[in-house]
Amino acid sequence: MSASMTRATETTRRLRQASGATALRLRFLGVVLFLVLLGVVFTALSPRFLTIDNGRSILFSAAILAIAAAGQTLVVLTGNLDLSVGSIMGLSAYVIYDLAGDVPALGPWVVLLAVLVGAFLGLVNGLLVAVLGIPSIVATLGTLAIYRGFVSVYAEAREVTVGQLPSWIRSLATAVWGSVPAAVWLSVLVVILVGVVLQFTPWGRRVYAYGSNPEAARYFGLDSRTIVTGAYVGAGVIAALAGLLLGAQVGNINSLLANGIELQVLAAVVVGGVSIWGGSGSVFGAAIGAIVLATINNGLVLLSINEYYRLLFQGLAIVLAVGVDAIVQNRVRTATRRRRILEVGA
Amino acid sequence: MRQFVRRNSGELLLVGLIVLAAVWSSSLSPYFLDPVNLLSSATSFVIFALMAFGLYPVVVQGEIDISLPSTLAVGSVLLGKASVAGVPLALALPLVLAVCAGLGALNGYLVAAVGLPSLAVTLGTLGAYRGVAYIIAGDAGVVGITPEYTALGSTWIGIVPVSIVLVLAVAAGFALLMSATSFGRYSFAIGNNAAASRMGAVPVVRTRVVAYSLAGAMSGLAGLVWVAQYQSARGDNADGAILFVLTAVVLGGVSIKGGSGRVAGVLLSLILLATLQTGMQLANVPGTSQTLVIGCLLVVSLGVPRAIALFRGRRRTLAPVRTDPPHGPDDPTPAVLEKQRG
Repeated sequence: MSASMTRATETTRRLRQASGATALRLRFLGVVLFLVLLGVVFTALSPRFLTIDNGRSILFSAAILAIAAAGQTLVVLTGNLDLSVGSIMGLSAYVIYDLAGDVPALGPWVVLLAVLVGAFLGLVNGLLVAVLGIPSIVATLGTLAIYRGFVSVYAEAREVTVGQLPSWIRSLATAVWGSVPAAVWLSVLVVILVGVVLQFTPWGRRVYAYGSNPEAARYFGLDSRTIVTGAYVGAGVIAALAGLLLGAQVGNINSLLANGIELQVLAAVVVGGVSIWGGSGSVFGAAIGAIVLATINNGLVLLSINEYYRLLFQGLAIVLAVGVDAIVQNRVRTATRRRRILEVGA
Repeated sequence: MRQFVRRNSGELLLVGLIVLAAVWSSSLSPYFLDPVNLLSSATSFVIFALMAFGLYPVVVQGEIDISLPSTLAVGSVLLGKASVAGVPLALALPLVLAVCAGLGALNGYLVAAVGLPSLAVTLGTLGAYRGVAYIIAGDAGVVGITPEYTALGSTWIGIVPVSIVLVLAVAAGFALLMSATSFGRYSFAIGNNAAASRMGAVPVVRTRVVAYSLAGAMSGLAGLVWVAQYQSARGDNADGAILFVLTAVVLGGVSIKGGSGRVAGVLLSLILLATLQTGMQLANVPGTSQTLVIGCLLVVSLGVPRAIALFRGRRRTLAPVRTDPPHGPDDPTPAVLEKQRG
């Protein structure tokens, strides 16, 4: 490979510039551009859109979504899906806050507890998908029902009330640090952390390697099971933490917390340019995807358009984004093939 | 005899489980085995059954459609609106079925012709069609549906409800479709190896679009049954029903990776799920906990055979298990193939 690289002629270099990498970069820029476009349209339609208060409220509503999307990104990068994200959020929030109400001594250890619960639920998903080889959609559709069913059995139609929540997490959820809500800072932290893990750790690079070509990764000696299971465990942990934060924001938690949020999370990830085929996209894109969705929601509210249109737009956004990804992927593929042919020729 | 058992082992297992579930249910209530009760409790599963039969050819082709309950919602609110507006059923039903088939065809087009992964497409249209249903129905939904539209839910032939007859007719239709027509043969071929089928001049795109359209139309028909049984239509009709439908199909022995599965298995697994759920209702298990059981069944029905295969395989070789991606690296999308050909 490296020998042929040095022999790369002027033509192949030019081809490479106009090829896969560019297409992927354009995909990311496309999301940013789309966000700007949305901003321009909403600003033109509503004078209240472009205010600092409104910007803060968009970021606040995007924060939890961005955290959950960061976890989902791990799984989607391996070419799988996690539909149980909403159920993991609901389960961990309900069970842990219920416990915290009974055992006040738990204090900040609830966070560790959430990590453990999330890791376990993610591990179950990971084992079903990576070891038993059940297609991820079906496996996580099953665990979506199982986890949610477990909460409702556990809850017995009761509710965890605001008073049961530890007061520090309650104030954290509503705190404002430097005129930006604390939840936004936390989501930035999570997104950067996941980004660093994916970019700079060996495991993170393996996730991309496996996701972009599982077959090649296998020949290279990568163990798909640790990669995929690890991604699900990471997603579970992040979902559980997102659940804690969401629960703290909501206050009164019933067994249906975060029910159906998976559609929004997936929409954020896919709109943000993480390819549903796996192996390409970044967690920062997913975060911008979350902001795009939050902006759409915000704009629809400002224009007092019925909430029902939100579902329609989210659905269409998923289909559209996947369509664009298909075009990008085809470009990358043909470019790679063309380059390979040229390099052989040279 | 031995050959019969081996060939139908999946179905026989389901029959055994149905007997067990029936014994359990009748131990909870002496009224369970009363034929009238049995048939009338079966009617509440007609909606799921129709969607399951619609989904079956799609899964056989190795694809999936999780947007069917949303298509049902569109169908039911359209029928509700038509009923309130005084449109005769004979005119409204074909139109609504056509609309639902069209929604299915859109899924099929995006999957087969554009080459997008079916899961992502139908996840998107799951939301989009649900949104459409809400927009049509409005906040209050549709009430005051005329008797003409609800007749299907209250007509009996002897002691047999008409909707049960409808399900059996549809099951027979799909059995015939999948075993005796070129569509059925093509479906199995595509499910086994889409690339080879394409080279073997199987009209892959057309067959897939037809399967998705059929699934959409079946959801529309399920929408009619919904309107007939509940005398109302709302945007959130059948929300979350895909779990039950997909479980029925997979538990019935239809391989989720495509290429195999029989109508008889799907019908039996529907009966099993219906018996179980009726039993749980008799035992006063709350609805949300029933989903726990269904979810477990879905995971177990897929996981156990694989776990056994894994265990057996381990003893012979130490080959690593492969998890197949939605599209393999060497399985180019139709769009790519088009380009190569062009």
